[in-house]
Amino acid sequence: MTTLALRSQVAVARRQLLAKRGRTLAGLIGIAAAFLLVLALNAIFAGIEGRLTGYINRSGADVIVAQAGVQTMHMTQSALPEEDARAIAAVEGVALATPILYKSVFIQRDDKSGVVALLGGAPIPGGAHTPTGRGIVIDEALANQLGVRIGGTVTVLGTDLRVTGEVTGTAAISGSFAFVARPTLARLLQAQGLASYVLVRARPGTSASALAKRINGSVPGVTASTREQFAASERRVVGDMSTDIVRAMTFIGFVIGVAVAGLVAYSVTLTQLRDIAVLRALGLTARRALALIGAQVASMILGGFVLALTLVLGLAALAPTLSPTLVLSVQADDVLHVALVAGAVGLAAALVPIFRVVRVEPASVFRRSS
Amino acid sequence: MTDPLVQIKQLWKVFGEGETRVEAVRGIDLELGRGEVVLVMGPPGSGKTTLLSMLGGLLRPTSGELWIDGVDITGLSERELAGFRARRFGFIFQDFNLLQALSASENVEVALNLGGTSGAQADARAAELLSALGLERRIGFKPEQLSGGERQRVAVARAVANHPALILADEPTANLDSRRGAETMRLLRQLANEEEATVLIVSHDERLRGIADRVLWLEDGRFKELAGLVTDPVCGMRLEPDQAVTLVREGVTHYFCAVGCRDQFEREHVDDTDTLEGYPHPRRRT
Repeated sequence: MTTLALRSQVAVARRQLLAKRGRTLAGLIGIAAAFLLVLALNAIFAGIEGRLTGYINRSGADVIVAQAGVQTMHMTQSALPEEDARAIAAVEGVALATPILYKSVFIQRDDKSGVVALLGGAPIPGGAHTPTGRGIVIDEALANQLGVRIGGTVTVLGTDLRVTGEVTGTAAISGSFAFVARPTLARLLQAQGLASYVLVRARPGTSASALAKRINGSVPGVTASTREQFAASERRVVGDMSTDIVRAMTFIGFVIGVAVAGLVAYSVTLTQLRDIAVLRALGLTARRALALIGAQVASMILGGFVLALTLVLGLAALAPTLSPTLVLSVQADDVLHVALVAGAVGLAAALVPIFRVVRVEPASVFRRSS
Repeated sequence: MTDPLVQIKQLWKVFGEGETRVEAVRGIDLELGRGEVVLVMGPPGSGKTTLLSMLGGLLRPTSGELWIDGVDITGLSERELAGFRARRFGFIFQDFNLLQALSASENVEVALNLGGTSGAQADARAAELLSALGLERRIGFKPEQLSGGERQRVAVARAVANHPALILADEPTANLDSRRGAETMRLLRQLANEEEATVLIVSHDERLRGIADRVLWLEDGRFKELAGLVTDPVCGMRLEPDQAVTLVREGVTHYFCAVGCRDQFEREHVDDTDTLEGYPHPRRRT
C-alpha cells in the first residue's frame, strides 16, 4: 500500500471516530480524567517537595551539618552541642557557620491553627529582618489563614509571640516555615546550649562537597551534607510518604484509563465491523484493518493525554490563586511517566477491538444487515 | 468461448465436517466471457452467495481452480488477494455497504486509494464517475442524506472506480423501487458494454433477465439446465419437475415449489374436476 493510501486510511479512521462526536468526546474526557488523576497527584507531591526544600535551597548555606546520621529537617530530630558549631567554624574553608534551632510546632491564634517548621536563628529568605525577643516572622499564607497581620499576636508552645514580618513562598499543604530568634526558641524548647543544625557557608574557591567531607572528617558526631544532598534527602522523605500513594493512584488511573479507552474503542469498533468487512472486501489487508483500529485507539489516547496535560498545566497556573498552600509542580519526568502509562493503556485498550477485527470475514459483506 | 475472463474448474466449498458437513458448492465448472453479463438465480441456500464470495476472492474454495484473467486466485496469499480484489474486482451489494462516515465522493476515493490511485487524481476520478451517474450535486453528501437509488449509484461508482475486469453484484435491485431498479439494470449493462467488464449478478429479480446474456440456475450447489426446469406459477421459482408438487388442471400439469403455492393456485382457479397427483385434494381432505 502506498503512503498516500495509508494517509487515506488514517483519514478514514479519523472520520469514523468523528462520526459519533458525542461518544468520542465522552470517551476522550473519561481517558483524560484518568490521566489527570495521575498527573495532578504527581504535580501536587512535586509541589510539596519543592516547598519543603525551598528553604534549604534559598538559605544560602553550602553545607548543612546535623547530628550524626541525620540528613533532613522534616520527620527527624537533630541536636548538636554549641561547641560543635564553634568546631565547625574553625574548619578550614568555612566562611560562616550559623547554628540554628528547628522544631515542628503548632501555631495558633484564637481557634485557628497551623503547622510550621519553626527555625530559630536562621537567615530569612526574601530579606525580612530576623526577629528579636518575642517576635516571629511567618508566611503570608499562614498569616491569612490565621487572620493575623504584622503587629498581631500568635501563640507558639504556649507563649505569645508578636508577628514582626512576613515571608512568601514557604507554604505548602504540609505546613510553612516560621522564624524566631535562636534564644527565643532555645527558651521555648529549653534547649540552651544546643543547636539543631549548623548552616555553613564555604569560602570562595572551596567546593561544598570537599568542605562537607572535611567537616565530617574533623568534627566527630556530626553529619555534614551539601545543600544538594540535604535537599535530596528531604525529597526522599516526601517520596517515601507519597510513593505508595502515587503508585496506587497511577495504577487506579491506569485501570480507569484502560476501562474507559477499552470501552470506547470496543464500542467504536463494534459499530464499524460492517465497514471493516466492506473495506476488506474492497482490498484492505488484515494488517491495515488492524492499523485502522490502532490509529483510532492511539488518537483517543493521545487526545486524552494532551487534554489531561493541558488541564493539569492550567490547574498548576490557577492553584496559587485558589490556595497559596496548593502548589502543583508539573515535572518533565512525571509527564514522561504518564505518557508511558498512556502508551500501555492504549495497548491494553486496543487488544479486545483487535481480536474482534481479526475475526471479521470479508465474505460477511454479502450477509444482509438487519 | 475464446479467452474467457473467468474459468472455474471443479470448484467445491464444504463447510464443517461429519454430521455438520455442508457442501455449499459442488464441483462447479463455469466460464465467463469478457463483457458478458451473467445472471445467477436459484432458491435460498443454493450456494449463490458462497459462489459469489469465492469468485470475489473473499472466501477460499475447498478445492478446484478459479482463474481470473489468467491468474488462479486460489494460490494467492491473503495480501496478494487483497491487492487483486482492489484492482480487478468491483462489488455491488444489496445493502449498498457505503461507509456512513464518509461522503459520496470519499466512498469512491477509498476504493481508488486501495487500488493505488490517490490525491487529486482520485478526487477527479470520483467526481467524474459521480457526475456521469447524475450525482454531481450529491458529491459531498453522506449516505444517510441520499436516497436508495442515489446510494446504489454511489456504490456502482465505487465498484467501477478502478476499471475492474469483473463486477460482482449481489441482489443489486432488491432494495430499489422499480424505476431505480431499472436504472441500475441499465447501468450494469452499460458497464459491460463500455468498460468491457464482465458482470456476474446474483439475484431473484426476474427483471434482470432482460439485461443478461446468460441466465444460470444454481440449486444444491450445482448449476442446472434452465431448459429442463419448470416455473411455479405462484411464486415464480424454478423447479425440477420430478421434485415439484403438481396439479393437473384441464389436461395441463402445473408445478409448484410447495403445497402452499399449489393451494393458493387452487383457490384462485377453483375447479372440482381437477385431479391432484400425489397429494390429497384440500377440499376432499375435509
